[in-house]
Amino acid sequence: MITVENLKKKFGDQVVLESINFSVNKGEVVCLVGASGSGKTTLLRCLNLLEEPSAGTLKIGNKRVEFGKQKVTKEDVKEIRQYSGMVFQSFNLFPHKTLIENIIEAPITVQKRDKKEVVVEANEILEKVGLIEHKDKYPDALSGGQQQRAAIARSLMMHPEILLFDEPTSALDPQLVREVLKVIEELAKEGQTMVIVTHEMNFARRIANRALFMDEGYILEEGPAEKVLSNPKEARTREFLALLEDE
Amino acid sequence: MFDFFSEIKWEYLYDFDLAIESLPFLLEGLRVTLIIAGFSMVFALIIGIIVGIARMSKLAIFRLPAKFYISFMRGTPLLVFVFILYYGLPVIGIEFESSIVAAIVGVSFNFAAYLAEVVRSAISSVPKGQWEAAETLQMSYFQTLRRIVIPQATRIAVPPTFNIFMDVLKGTSLASVITVQELLYSGRLIAGRTYDSMTMYITVAIIYWLVSIVIGAIQSRLEIRYNRYLAKG
Repeated sequence: MITVENLKKKFGDQVVLESINFSVNKGEVVCLVGASGSGKTTLLRCLNLLEEPSAGTLKIGNKRVEFGKQKVTKEDVKEIRQYSGMVFQSFNLFPHKTLIENIIEAPITVQKRDKKEVVVEANEILEKVGLIEHKDKYPDALSGGQQQRAAIARSLMMHPEILLFDEPTSALDPQLVREVLKVIEELAKEGQTMVIVTHEMNFARRIANRALFMDEGYILEEGPAEKVLSNPKEARTREFLALLEDE
Repeated sequence: MFDFFSEIKWEYLYDFDLAIESLPFLLEGLRVTLIIAGFSMVFALIIGIIVGIARMSKLAIFRLPAKFYISFMRGTPLLVFVFILYYGLPVIGIEFESSIVAAIVGVSFNFAAYLAEVVRSAISSVPKGQWEAAETLQMSYFQTLRRIVIPQATRIAVPPTFNIFMDVLKGTSLASVITVQELLYSGRLIAGRTYDSMTMYITVAIIYWLVSIVIGAIQSRLEIRYNRYLAKG
């Protein structure tokens, strides 16, 4: 589904990602873990070209783009983005639209689908994430957990082959984390391909097929989630996990 | 001190009879003022939105002319610009059909520069995350601008835009200098005939003020409407 080869990313002179190689298979859940500043969010953002890599190649579905040689065209970006949806740390719902309006926006304006049909589907998805009774409220009237579930629903409406999560629970009050993780876990069970940047280690162990541990722009350790997150080879990974346990 | 006050001729302060007598004539002038102000607000807003968006463009061929335009209009007095239009252009063979048209052009183009700055700051104040969310939903630049960014920017832009609209209203008084018979000019005519400048100009001022109050009321209603999606408190 996703193949990343030799990916590099520099911001000016600062190297943020260095020779990144990894792949994600269809139906797999891959977690990216590591300290802040290790490059995991940047890597995730490279996967839908919110950040443009400086070098290397990215293949998603049938689309392959090479960076650093020629300019990435608008068409390239468009094609790559068709494969993925993204859930942000700060939700980024559209505040001037009600939940249902948020969710039907892209299918109607981008995919030009029939409004009636989209509304029917939106209702189903809102039901699934437990927000149907809030569908006519504005995001500002909802809790962070509800907003994040709505944001997940919004991404799902585009039927992305891959869902990217950028620390989906980091901005939430502790008591709201669980309701969001539950929705993500549900998606994992349904076989949704996902790449998740997270600090929730128990959650990652439970749902991820694989985990990548990132450190200073490199993938330091990669393997089955259970192994990398419970019994890592590398000292740095152990250190990082121990720090999280302390908290 | 007491001498100073005792010399004031309070009985000449305001002649109600004259004010009421001249009201029909002043309201005829107000009609012209409102025509100039109305057209100018609409044109200034349209030009302001275009220039404001051009000012934010990554492309220098849009950005630099917009920057130059804003700089020139903000850096020169409206009256001088109106003189260039009304007295200057005929020298090179361009003449306006009427001085009203010259006034509308002058006021619109001048205040459009201020509105362009409002547009720019309002659009920049919409968080980057909104653009990114729309991008990941595959919305195009213009779809994002139209459906996501401009509606949110509008809420932020309402108060400063209406400040400028009040300036537009007051700015139309400069048209009196190029012989447009608007509110101030009408007042001047009567003041010249009756020698009662105090009554006339106070009356004119009150009429401007009342129109401003109406503009302010429209602003409040729009603010309520655009703030409806924010949680109360």
